[in-house]
Amino acid sequence: MTAPRRANLILAVAFVLAIAAALFFGVRAGRAVRHVHSRNEQIRGWMSVPFIAHTRHVHEEPLFRAIGITPDRRDHRPIRDIARAEHVPVSRLIDELETAVDKDQQKDQR
Amino acid sequence: MTEQILAALARYGEPALFVVAAVASIGIPLPVMLLLIVTGSLTAQGTLNFGVAVTVAAVGSVIGDQAGYAIGRWGGHALVGRLTRLMGGAKRLEEADARARRWGGPGVFFSRWLLTPLGPWINLASGLAGYSWPRFTLWDVLGEALFAALYISLGLAFSDRVQEVESILGDLTWALVGLLVAAVIGWKLFFGKKATKPSAVQSV
Repeated sequence: MTAPRRANLILAVAFVLAIAAALFFGVRAGRAVRHVHSRNEQIRGWMSVPFIAHTRHVHEEPLFRAIGITPDRRDHRPIRDIARAEHVPVSRLIDELETAVDKDQQKDQR
Repeated sequence: MTEQILAALARYGEPALFVVAAVASIGIPLPVMLLLIVTGSLTAQGTLNFGVAVTVAAVGSVIGDQAGYAIGRWGGHALVGRLTRLMGGAKRLEEADARARRWGGPGVFFSRWLLTPLGPWINLASGLAGYSWPRFTLWDVLGEALFAALYISLGLAFSDRVQEVESILGDLTWALVGLLVAAVIGWKLFFGKKATKPSAVQSV
């Protein structure tokens, strides 16, 4: 194969790969847009209790109480910091917060 | 890494925003888009101030961009020149310089807020190509101000959907980058032979 033909072949492969990548990410974004209102934000270790309350549309007090902390709106410590201070795993606090969120949402529905 | 960065934002607020924006602009892959969206959510909750957050993020990003430009202009040229001489690719370096000059200001502007993955490369290429520093700074400040205001506003508007919005925007950005790359390669592939005339180097 001559050098110009090889260069053209490489360009053609790169062109197809670029189109494939654009399609892949475009379709994934489109799917995510369709489901954006049907999913709950996952609770992460970087989130503070007021942040979780805001994203899940629940009250802060029951969430603070669920993890054994005195409710304080100005307490913006990430859950991972609270877990470290309380000597408990982050995953346990996340589970407790998920349960508290569910309870508060059910209470509001009634 | 994402966890630590967002936890730092929750803990320290604007100083964390400033440092991460600056470091990410140099080219260290940090989740700055998610950081700005979360910042927007925190402004919606009253934890941070919108105007202060936009200013801090934009200033941090501009400082990082300036560092990238400086590396390309004053540190990078000698280093890259030596490397390319060793590898016998001096002609390629000239081509890269010419390309960066041709992209000019709009290239700097759009890579700040729309084609963000290209941003750090454009900084280096602009410095390497000797693109005018005042012009680079002007387009850089405009682009970064728009970037910060746009993404923080999105976080403000979708303050309860930050992770979803970040994931969608990330995918859209890569889709755009893919389309741009396909357009450039397609142009070269289909019109490359016809477009052999040397094009004028324009500086916007």
